[in-house]
Amino acid sequence: MTGDNAFAELMHEYVGECLPLAEQAADGFLEVERRWNAGQQADDLAPRLKGVVHTVKGNSAMMGLSAAAEVAHATEDLFAALLADPSQREPAALDLLLDGANLLIELVRSATSGKGDAARVTAWVQGVRAQLAGQAPAAMTAPGASSRSSGPEAAVDTVRVDFRRLDALQEIVGEAIIAQSRLRDIQRRMVSHLGFTEESAELDASINAVEKTTQKLEDAVMATRLVSLSGVFGRFARLVRDAAQSSGKQVRLETSGGDTRLDKAIVDRLGEPLVHLITNAVVHGVEREEVRLGRGKTAEAVIRLAAAPVSDGVILTVSDDGGGLDADRIAERARALGLEVNSTAPDAIYPLIFVPGLSTVEAVSSLAGRGVGLDVVASSLHAMGGSITVESAPGRGTRFILRVPVTLAVVRTLLFEVSDERYAIPLAHVVETLRVEDGDIHEINHRGVVLWRGELLPVVDGAALVGAGAIAGEAARKYTVVVHAGTRRRGVLVDRLIGHRSVVAKGLDPALGHTRLVSGTTIMGDGRVTCILDAQRLVDPLPGHTATVLT
Amino acid sequence: MSTSLTFLVVDDSKLHHQMYELVFSRGSLAGSTILHAYNGREGYTLLQAHPELTAVFLDLNMPEMNGLEFLAQRRADGMQLHVPVVMVTTEDSPDDERRGREAGAWEYLRKPFQPVDIERTVARVRQSSVHG
Repeated sequence: MTGDNAFAELMHEYVGECLPLAEQAADGFLEVERRWNAGQQADDLAPRLKGVVHTVKGNSAMMGLSAAAEVAHATEDLFAALLADPSQREPAALDLLLDGANLLIELVRSATSGKGDAARVTAWVQGVRAQLAGQAPAAMTAPGASSRSSGPEAAVDTVRVDFRRLDALQEIVGEAIIAQSRLRDIQRRMVSHLGFTEESAELDASINAVEKTTQKLEDAVMATRLVSLSGVFGRFARLVRDAAQSSGKQVRLETSGGDTRLDKAIVDRLGEPLVHLITNAVVHGVEREEVRLGRGKTAEAVIRLAAAPVSDGVILTVSDDGGGLDADRIAERARALGLEVNSTAPDAIYPLIFVPGLSTVEAVSSLAGRGVGLDVVASSLHAMGGSITVESAPGRGTRFILRVPVTLAVVRTLLFEVSDERYAIPLAHVVETLRVEDGDIHEINHRGVVLWRGELLPVVDGAALVGAGAIAGEAARKYTVVVHAGTRRRGVLVDRLIGHRSVVAKGLDPALGHTRLVSGTTIMGDGRVTCILDAQRLVDPLPGHTATVLT
Repeated sequence: MSTSLTFLVVDDSKLHHQMYELVFSRGSLAGSTILHAYNGREGYTLLQAHPELTAVFLDLNMPEMNGLEFLAQRRADGMQLHVPVVMVTTEDSPDDERRGREAGAWEYLRKPFQPVDIERTVARVRQSSVHG
């Protein structure tokens, strides 16, 4: 129908401009619904919302996307009618309004693919017409034979690529990086055997050039894989609304940072854990209205979903203003499972909710409702090289903090050697490296510390950490790698610093029997498998014992 | 076209700017210069500085200063009244068109438009500015 639209080559810009607008409309209508249900005015939101939908309508029409234009148009009419006549603001009409915005999101999103549910559009438009004509909205079933094919079908100047091809491309980049580090390795050995020669200098320059090109290639491939979180975030407003309705609570979702961009592979894997955490927050995290009022809280609970980029990835938080976790019950439940719970500090007990088996379905009620399958959430985050932690304040709420890398594949690392073993640590977690001399390491409470930038930095022996079996005093390590993650810092004592390397992270090889401090492995230039250390766990307080102190 | 044409596009939608860019880079209008403004206020500043404009394409709904406010200001200041202004409206708003004409718009362009509509509109306003 519109396959030869003159502006088809701008389809990407259309989606880029209209998707956020459609999402703003969906969020805006939810807020309008919330206010109307609470007996408040929403007129101040109307001009902006009208403008947003109007722009989507105009742009969709320009692009020949008649279904999206039609839905936007009917949404405008419906919204205008509801604004003008409060008696029409019944649940079915508000549902229609929200459905309209969500339908618009889908139509805009599928504009480049040409897929559109024409029958759903027709059914929804009929529902709106019926509503506007003062009749009860028709049932939202799709009519059997819709003769009009109003799905967006404009041709685009964009190539659709199977995501697996981008995966394959990234694999190839990974192989190039490995081959290039092999070259670098050989060049260094040449220099150390033969000294500097004109040839080795030329080789060095060529490898530099290859490294720059590979870096550009890696960045370019990465850029094709980045998508914003807004698509995932967009699903949650409705999820919260529906979950709240069915559990008889008033809950508002606030989101921020939806424009944060991540590798599609990670965004895809984040959906499920987030659905889990958010549903849990609505169903179990926040209290019923009467309980909230009794505690002096607002009747309406707030769940916040936020994303923000940090140096080594993205931090997402899911927080609620509910009752918080019950440390006593968690400890009780953990003991019932045969776990040893030594600490009484709530902060030490909360993380137990991620232990497999602790948060099973039958435990729901006994755990103040928290944690159906939180171990599953935690393990899916670990599988993508991320982590999850929890904070809670009794009576005030709970916050889950998720850290995820921007990409799954390439990590910039610092390579070092300890007890003749090589390890890599993500560079984003390295503050600096220090030379340590005899006497620099002091012992306080049986723990090693060094004086660093005027503060006492706890240090641990690298070999002891990774279970390589170092013996105190066996070798005085020469360097400290200062590692930070979150708010904690720790020095790791190592023998030799090898340098910076971009490495291709592979999963763990079970045959190698890693400790919990290893997040993955990589193959180095010389073919050796090297462990990548998990910085977050490296700085976590050590349970029970501390590493051997070398003096 | 031998003479070089200059157009001012005032629209808050980036997509529309790209559409004009496309149209003015091809066919009979190829080689035209385009000035871009993303709200009425920006557009008005550019209008003040460019008496040589062939035409202004003015969107109606914009933040800051909308299309009608732009026209009212222009009339009040007597600013570049010789420059034709084309009001860009959505197909279903005849009222806006009437108000636009009263405020001093010369022509209308209705969304959705095609490149040929812009070409025709440009031909019309050039004719009227020559004879008018």
